[in-house]
Amino acid sequence: MSSPAIVVDRVTKRFAGHTAVRSLSLEVPTGGIFGLLGPNGAGKTTTIRMLLSIIIPDEGSVTLFGAQGTGRDLSGKIGYLPEERGLYPKMRVLDQLAFLGECKGLSRWDARKRARHWLGRLGLGDWEARKVSDLSKGMQQKVQFAGALQHEPDLVLLDEPFSGLDPVNSQVMRDVVVDVGRSGRTVLFSTHIMEHAEKMCDRITIIARGEKVVDGPLAQVKREFGHSSLALTFTRNGAAAKAILADRSLVARVDDSGASAEVVLAHGAEPERLLKALVMADVGLSRFEVVEPSLQSIFIAKVGPDAATPAASEAVA
Amino acid sequence: MNKILAVIRREFIERVRTRAFIIGTLIVPFMTFAFAYLPQLLLKRDTRPRSVVLLDGASGSTGDSVEAALRRVTLGSGATSRPRYNLVRLRTASDVDRLRDSLIQHVGVDSPEAPGLDGLLVITDQGVEAGKVSYYGTNVASFSDMRSLERAMSPVLRGERLARRGADSGMIAAAGVELDLQSNKVTKGRLTGESGESSFWLAYITSFVMYFSLIMYGIQVMGAVLEEKSNRIVEVLISSITPFQLLMGKVIGVAGAGLLQLAIWGGASFYVTSAIASRNAAGLDQVAVDGTRQSMSMPAVSVDLVVVVLIFFLLGFLLYSALYAAVGAMCSSQQETQQAAQPVTILLALGFIAMFTLINDPSSSMARILSFIPFFSPLVIPVRYALSPLPVTEVAAAVAVTLLGVVVIVWLAGRIYRVGILSYGKKPSFRELWSWVRTA
Repeated sequence: MSSPAIVVDRVTKRFAGHTAVRSLSLEVPTGGIFGLLGPNGAGKTTTIRMLLSIIIPDEGSVTLFGAQGTGRDLSGKIGYLPEERGLYPKMRVLDQLAFLGECKGLSRWDARKRARHWLGRLGLGDWEARKVSDLSKGMQQKVQFAGALQHEPDLVLLDEPFSGLDPVNSQVMRDVVVDVGRSGRTVLFSTHIMEHAEKMCDRITIIARGEKVVDGPLAQVKREFGHSSLALTFTRNGAAAKAILADRSLVARVDDSGASAEVVLAHGAEPERLLKALVMADVGLSRFEVVEPSLQSIFIAKVGPDAATPAASEAVA
Repeated sequence: MNKILAVIRREFIERVRTRAFIIGTLIVPFMTFAFAYLPQLLLKRDTRPRSVVLLDGASGSTGDSVEAALRRVTLGSGATSRPRYNLVRLRTASDVDRLRDSLIQHVGVDSPEAPGLDGLLVITDQGVEAGKVSYYGTNVASFSDMRSLERAMSPVLRGERLARRGADSGMIAAAGVELDLQSNKVTKGRLTGESGESSFWLAYITSFVMYFSLIMYGIQVMGAVLEEKSNRIVEVLISSITPFQLLMGKVIGVAGAGLLQLAIWGGASFYVTSAIASRNAAGLDQVAVDGTRQSMSMPAVSVDLVVVVLIFFLLGFLLYSALYAAVGAMCSSQQETQQAAQPVTILLALGFIAMFTLINDPSSSMARILSFIPFFSPLVIPVRYALSPLPVTEVAAAVAVTLLGVVVIVWLAGRIYRVGILSYGKKPSFRELWSWVRTA
């Protein structure tokens, strides 16, 4: 088994009396898409900067690819899209990308070839000779995105990659990220938009106030959160169904809307038992679906409204 | 190493491509041309012969000598030369003041029949004794006109004074010989054929150029170092290359662009002025041509001195660029750098002042010590070398010390930069700076 792409071991980082990350441990396996979720100010950007050794942790250690060496030593294998976007405004788009490629250790010729390829792929082929400052903000973001990926890194770190993009461009970039994840390489991205994480991530970690709240494969996180609900739609014999749903040993709560119902099962009850009872009672069903809790609801339940803003008192402490 | 090259190339190309660089590079040769050529145009307009009345109230042959001397003054040289003065001499024994007053009324007054007088020259016996001659004219503000009159009359009047005291013409000629100190440079017991003066001027002017160009380009280096921080591209770069690579690349890239600009300026200025000088040598005011020739002629200097001067110019440029880069590394805005750069500017000024004090005693122990301090050696060594050649070992040691200085400064700047990156908007104290250097 290959070593994990990232191991973060009890890392703490303090800034001027305020703890941005507190004893955080993470393990990101090689391959797939990893979501680093959390409210604003949770420490996501600080964590990613420590992965890249842009800032150094006060305590704990970061290991990449199971190897010694800082993020910069391994930078040829890492692609990074920072939260604070920035390019040289006066530079031409192609020159800019080629320079970023050279900084990753590509030869000049190779860097220019790849830069051209990526500009074409992201629909910016006509803009390669223009200055960066002529581009819209969304286009600049795509250029930076290309800069993070053009050297085909094994590990891609994206800080809020889809913020500020229109739905079409956002989709283009999400498709690219999914491609990278499928090709056996590792993507870690931070976001506070739960729908993106829900659709794309294999694993997630939710952090709040610098501490880990939830961690694991997405399916497992959902399972452990429990509270699965069932969505039912009846076509026939609704009265019999109502009698069955009234059974408190089977059903904890019903949200009845006549022809359909949302049901939360009693603790220990299994959906199969309910289905069997309904079929035995000759209830007609056009829908019987186990609905997993949304990441959104898990996030809100776990992080809570208090954690959505970093505690100001900590900054004073 | 490839990454440093990439940074150097980016810095150099992006800098040279800017409109500011192109305009700045073109405007200086243009201005040189204008400054060298315009005064000559103005002088040229004034090169018609002057109508001058010589009011001669002096006794003896003084008037004859002065008249002869003025008639010898020509405009231009060779085949095109013609007398500078349309001279009319009026002799009077007693009526000098009255004649003068009536003649003044004609100076600068053109009548339909004839142009007016340009000037009136009055010589009297008392004037000859006191070395005073009065000139009343429209052109008294013309430096070259006044100088031409002075130069023509001064030896004549001196001769007259001597003659009145009984000196013969041989004595007068002997008394007129001026001192011209012929300095010849001797290196290791051999004549080198160069005059000490021109070697010194080369080193001196180079230090001047270095001082002022460093003050000018230092700001550019600081701006370049701030660029990544203000563009927020710094995170991507610093996760890929070391701050040392980034800063070293920037220092060399900006220095390269600056040196290119200086080379273009120097080459173009030299070309323009020497072209004008050689064109004018044929038919212009002698004073102006002399002036141009003096300021523009290439002094005779040895090759090794030129090499030393160039090497230390390059080293000084790099060293001070590195210092300015360090200042840029600890600041987060252009305004902040203005203040933070002061210690560097003071250091540069100190080196410049030190250079002056060395002129009197270039081989003092003070001079030796300064030669091995990286901040000063680029200014001190060329001047010392010009005054009296140094052993190769001493020069090589100074080169090594300065190069080491460049690397160490950039390394320190890199450490400061490293920690300073994410502390936008706050200027560090010296204690914080030191802790940055240690911890980064």
